[in-house]
Amino acid sequence: MSLLDVRNLEVTYADGSAAVRGVDVSLEAGGKLGIAGESGCGKSTLALALLRLLPAGTRVGGEILLDGEDVLAMKWGRVRAVRWAGASIVFQGAMHSLNAVHRVGDQIAEPILLHRKATAAGARTRAGELLEQVGLPAAHARAYPHELSGGQRQRVMIAMALACDPRLIIADEPTTALDVMIQAQILRLIAGLVTEQDLALVMISHDLSVLADTCDRLAVMYAGRIVEEGPARQVFDDSRHPYGKALSGAFPRIGDPASRFAPRGLPGDPPDPAAVPTGCAFHPRCPVALESCSVDDQRLREAGAGRRAACVHVPEAAASPSAVPEPEASPHPGPGAGTDGAGIPVPGPAPSSDATGALGKPASAPPPLLSAEGLHVSFPGRHGGDTARAVDGVDLDLRAGEIVALVGESGCGKTTLARSLLGLLPPTAGRVTFDGRPLDYSSGALRTYRKRVQLVLQDPSGSLNPRHTVYDAVAEGLRIHRYGGDERAAVAEALSRAGLRPAERFFQRYPHELSGGQRQRVVIAGALVLEPKLLVADEPVASLDASVRGEILALLLRLRDELDLSALVVTHDLGLAWNIADRVAVMYLGRIVETGSVEQVLSAPRHPYTQALLSVLPDAPGEPVVLAGEPPDPSRISAGCRFHARCPVLASGEAERAGVADACLTRDPEILGGGGEEQAACHYAATSSTSNPSELIR
Amino acid sequence: MTTTTPPGPRALAWRRRGHSAARFWKQYRTRRAGVLGLAVLVLFGLIALTAPLTVGSDVQSVTEAPGQPLESPSGQFPLGTDRFGRGLLGLLIWGARVSLLVGLLAAVLSVSIGAVIGITAGHFRGRYATVMMRVTDWFLVMPTLVLAIALATVMSRSLGTIILAIGVTTWPTTARLVRAQTLAVESRPYIERAKALGGGHWHIMSRHVLPNVMPLVLAQTTLVISSAILAEATLAFLGLGDPTVISWGGLLQDAREAGAVSSGDWWYLVPPGIAIAVVALAFTLCGRAVEAVLNPRLGVAR
Repeated sequence: MSLLDVRNLEVTYADGSAAVRGVDVSLEAGGKLGIAGESGCGKSTLALALLRLLPAGTRVGGEILLDGEDVLAMKWGRVRAVRWAGASIVFQGAMHSLNAVHRVGDQIAEPILLHRKATAAGARTRAGELLEQVGLPAAHARAYPHELSGGQRQRVMIAMALACDPRLIIADEPTTALDVMIQAQILRLIAGLVTEQDLALVMISHDLSVLADTCDRLAVMYAGRIVEEGPARQVFDDSRHPYGKALSGAFPRIGDPASRFAPRGLPGDPPDPAAVPTGCAFHPRCPVALESCSVDDQRLREAGAGRRAACVHVPEAAASPSAVPEPEASPHPGPGAGTDGAGIPVPGPAPSSDATGALGKPASAPPPLLSAEGLHVSFPGRHGGDTARAVDGVDLDLRAGEIVALVGESGCGKTTLARSLLGLLPPTAGRVTFDGRPLDYSSGALRTYRKRVQLVLQDPSGSLNPRHTVYDAVAEGLRIHRYGGDERAAVAEALSRAGLRPAERFFQRYPHELSGGQRQRVVIAGALVLEPKLLVADEPVASLDASVRGEILALLLRLRDELDLSALVVTHDLGLAWNIADRVAVMYLGRIVETGSVEQVLSAPRHPYTQALLSVLPDAPGEPVVLAGEPPDPSRISAGCRFHARCPVLASGEAERAGVADACLTRDPEILGGGGEEQAACHYAATSSTSNPSELIR
Repeated sequence: MTTTTPPGPRALAWRRRGHSAARFWKQYRTRRAGVLGLAVLVLFGLIALTAPLTVGSDVQSVTEAPGQPLESPSGQFPLGTDRFGRGLLGLLIWGARVSLLVGLLAAVLSVSIGAVIGITAGHFRGRYATVMMRVTDWFLVMPTLVLAIALATVMSRSLGTIILAIGVTTWPTTARLVRAQTLAVESRPYIERAKALGGGHWHIMSRHVLPNVMPLVLAQTTLVISSAILAEATLAFLGLGDPTVISWGGLLQDAREAGAVSSGDWWYLVPPGIAIAVVALAFTLCGRAVEAVLNPRLGVAR
């Protein structure tokens, strides 16, 4: 008998929106099931329903058998006993799910004291053991949540979930807010614990690649239903449902030429659970929809060994290998075509030769549009602490029409660098030059500068004033700069350039009436309206759904082509760099440690840090190099190479053999030049390669 | 698509304001206490505004008093007479004008000072904010009444003095509230976006911060009015008001001087006291309702 058996589960919220519409899932002990889907597809509702955590007034139908017992039919006392002792949840935001005023040890002990006849001392000992199981020293039990880093807090959440030896663990987006390296650590920890303790795992994520890497089975949800199910790897590599295809295509495989300069998304927004389309719920967004799809509902059916999919293109009989036609063959333009009917552009693969070709010959390259020279930004330490050197000597050039990705973990100083390039933070030392002239920090000069350099922030909901309409938000820049022309026409043009058409329909909308992708388009339109030369985008797609991500990236690429707009994209996502950037700069602890063209750096990285970052990506080839420890602290930069404490090359003794170990510990690698040439700030890379990077430095 | 030219953004903005006012009223209407408070205020407002027609300014005249001193309520004088023989009902109605006027003006003054200091202290951090907030703290710890008494004694005795005395002593709470809200708004990403667009201090304070603190300021105003009315009554009761005008607090002071407390002339004391309490309560009810409608984060709105 399965450990978890969900039969025909239906969840309808009190406002009438059907969040889950008939889901069947089963999971054996020791199994790992991934549930994927965009926000609003019902995956979190499903997770909450498993423990009856939905708000009062929600109608739940069907059966949820946990160890053969129906959770929905349980008496209240039994539900409480099953919560945490039978099944526990690892929530997404570890910051919000931990109580800030209690020590983490006490919070881990809380469920033990509730469910077991344990003494306070016994519970404390158990909390210490649990912390050690998740790779934290037992002494951390005395810490408060704010004293721990994001990754450590997530480990505490996992320890808490394990506290009462549950049979089932539900992990709801356990790594979404975390850096690549920490994400790799946490995923390995969860997978290890599940195997070791013979638990069952239900993991929920919008990132198909993460699930494919961790789980054995994968279910893709859309509009409250499972539309595809099967062995994780197969569903990810060769999806039978157009929605699954779109989701797995949204995260590019680095090194795959097909996704270079061709971010893939899915037009449209996820359906409103209160108004699910008729027929197949996916048909309005489906690139291969037939006319009958708007009428005929599709149910899951066999689609190969152990696989099921709900699509009209999957034949009733055993499926042929390519059941779903490639979108290119369909009358509806999909990825790879120019512009679809809704005016949403999906550019095909563009040749990158013009961009990369010029980079090989720095001498003939045009002068940079924006350049930073020896830029330092430091913040005084709080309460007399050490000065934090957030940006510690950076040279970086940006040419017209070039997209540069600035990549690094959180805390590496990439956002500070972007802010100081915009003149929002004055540098402590060094200078920023725009169009050959150094940046003037007087308020009048800055105002002129800001007409030409614009910022796009990560969180589109936060970067729009909730009390301003779309029109006001876009016109804001024009009003600040006392635009003389036709304001209305300028706003309309910027909105339609950003893909919001017809623009007039959006004028009087408020941000909360728009979807996440639309909001980000409004922010981009607000930047475009001033006709800038350069866009600085700080994690422009990090808070957006996988399908919308591709759309926004495609928009940035199209703007580059149409308006010759340059962009500096700050991100922790190497796939994004592969998708749209010409050049990439990898930042670590306030300095750029490797730079060069995207093809060179991401296909053949030379700095051990870049190598490690690439190796932990969910579908990277080869053995992952998971760096131990936390992201660096800019107030304590060690002497010698700033990466040496975490460097795998130094730790393995390879640096010693190459005779550079002394240099690693004592000598700071030189600052890399800002130009386009491939360079790495590493003593070891300098010895092992033919072209010595330090010779390239000006 | 119609063939007529679409309305300009200005016209659309006005239409939008109309819509949001209608939405506000729809939500306000659902709050019973707020509607009750509003009804009471409208009633008192009408009484105060129409006082010249109903009772006339003659009611204040001591020399032409129609009745005997300290008559108990009767058909001719429903609320009796004061120590000069004037009808108390007329005085009460006439006194509403001064009490409401002083309450409104003092509250507007107080909230304006508080809002300006709060927004600027929240926007310009650093030394300016430190100095401003220390000044605020100083006013906050000073006993308001003592400070107001000191001011009212030093300056000439007039309504203006009373308004000023109340206004400059009650702003610190508003300043603190507004500053806290300003700090919260300023940490939102759209402020950074506005800065990156080239917006200056004035732009950020007027276009982004002010609309966001406005609900708070509005609600605060209605709440401050009730305490200003109380403060005016207190000052008048202590004999610091303008002796030439009738106000509710002044009536209480007259009653005390006439020995109404010891001689049991309840009609002299109770009506002004109740009027003060009812109006203050009505403003508080309105203020709470406005606050709840405009600030859904209080959690009572949905």
